[in-house]
Amino acid sequence: MDWRIPRGKVVALVGPSGVGKSSLLYCLAGLLTPASGQVTYRCDGGCAHQPKAFRVKLGFIYQDFRLVANSTLLMNVLCGKLGQRPWHKTFFGFPAADRERAKELLATLGVSRHIHHCAGEVSGGEQQRAAIARALLQDPEVFLADEPVSQLDETNARRVLDLFKTEAHTRGKTVLCTLHDQDLVDDYADLVLRMNWKHPSQWRLETR
Amino acid sequence: MGLGPEPITAASSGPSGASGRLPDVRPADLRWYERLNVLNLSLVIFILLAIVSAPVLKGSGRDIAVFERIADLFKRMYPPDYSVTGEALWALLDTGRIAVWATLLALIVSFPLAMSASSNISPRWLVAITRLFMCVLRTVPNIIWALLGVAIVGPNALAGVIGLTLYSIGYLVKFFSDAFESMDNKIADGLKAMGASSFQAFIHGTLPHARPLIWSSTLFMLEYNLRSGTIVGFVGAGGIGVLLHSYWEYMQLDRFATVLLVLLVPVVLLDFLGNWARAKITRRVAAKT
Repeated sequence: MDWRIPRGKVVALVGPSGVGKSSLLYCLAGLLTPASGQVTYRCDGGCAHQPKAFRVKLGFIYQDFRLVANSTLLMNVLCGKLGQRPWHKTFFGFPAADRERAKELLATLGVSRHIHHCAGEVSGGEQQRAAIARALLQDPEVFLADEPVSQLDETNARRVLDLFKTEAHTRGKTVLCTLHDQDLVDDYADLVLRMNWKHPSQWRLETR
Repeated sequence: MGLGPEPITAASSGPSGASGRLPDVRPADLRWYERLNVLNLSLVIFILLAIVSAPVLKGSGRDIAVFERIADLFKRMYPPDYSVTGEALWALLDTGRIAVWATLLALIVSFPLAMSASSNISPRWLVAITRLFMCVLRTVPNIIWALLGVAIVGPNALAGVIGLTLYSIGYLVKFFSDAFESMDNKIADGLKAMGASSFQAFIHGTLPHARPLIWSSTLFMLEYNLRSGTIVGFVGAGGIGVLLHSYWEYMQLDRFATVLLVLLVPVVLLDFLGNWARAKITRRVAAKT
């Protein structure tokens, strides 16, 4: 694999189920170690980071959300800030500014009704939007989103992808996101990584 | 999955399976030793132990009129001497206080110890050491711990608190670490992947899941301590047991009966209430995970 993803782009990962879209994202996040080669993040100053050292700047949205079922949605979203706050700032409750921002994000995503409900009690779509809000609150440089709209209806899916697009185009963030819906790919992706059953060296990064 | 030469596994395992299935083997009965699983084996051992242990049933060997003695005991107890009810209630209150403080202290101490006894949080050597230590705490009965307490601070309620605390720690650490270990690490790992420290991942990822289990086992321990708070009084460690012990020693069985009655009510209530509350608390977890 050898391609370059510039900053401020939305990259859609498309390909058949099981081809390794999630594994690729996991490798990029440092959650899996690649069988060969390594993942390095380069920033403007020329510095290079391994994924583990860069993880505060990596916002991962899991396919299975990984929310804490016994915590409220608000609390779950606030967890996105854990890496940026010392433990004593989060131990007795998060700073007010973080709380306000979390509420704002949940409202933008249309789940403000349920912020004080436990994550285990709300619907799959609402959990997914909370997981997205958590990543947005984290405010990372790179979003690694594993099927972030799998549980959402068209309107909400577009709402989420609009947010990602804004993050990328106006704030210079990079979004890597697995998508299945061709219409959404057409409307939102700047670049498309087509993954197929051939060798990864044959995977193409297409510009739209 | 399939053990042994089952036709299905054999047929689907190799490429040769496509050409012809193995002939069906007529299932044979298990030999007697093949039927010995842990359950059967331990049952057999238990029965053998019972036979070997039978001599304890011999008693002193003297001819004792058992039923007359029982009747005599009840006669001495009836009617209960209700004049000591007030005193018994105060002593019961004392037992309650002992139990509450022993549970609270044990909860505070057990929490960090349970973290070091959980194999998904701590290194293996620390887990081994903590568990060994806890095993020792549990092996010594609470009445012995209370005796030690009496030896240290004298015959009063504080000795009871010390005794019950030590014993409770042994159990709570076990309960808590079981709760921590049963938790799904994926969520805590997910938080770590977003930059959270291990401690933060534990507080925000693991603990919310473990909390209902932790609280329900703490309530169980409180219930348990209220019961055993009675016993530790026998060695002078405060509470209603002191009364029971002294009335028994002086054979004031009518008073003894009153104390028993005073004790009966809260224990029965607690049994129902505790079961109900714990079921409610843990059902919440089950529904959500």
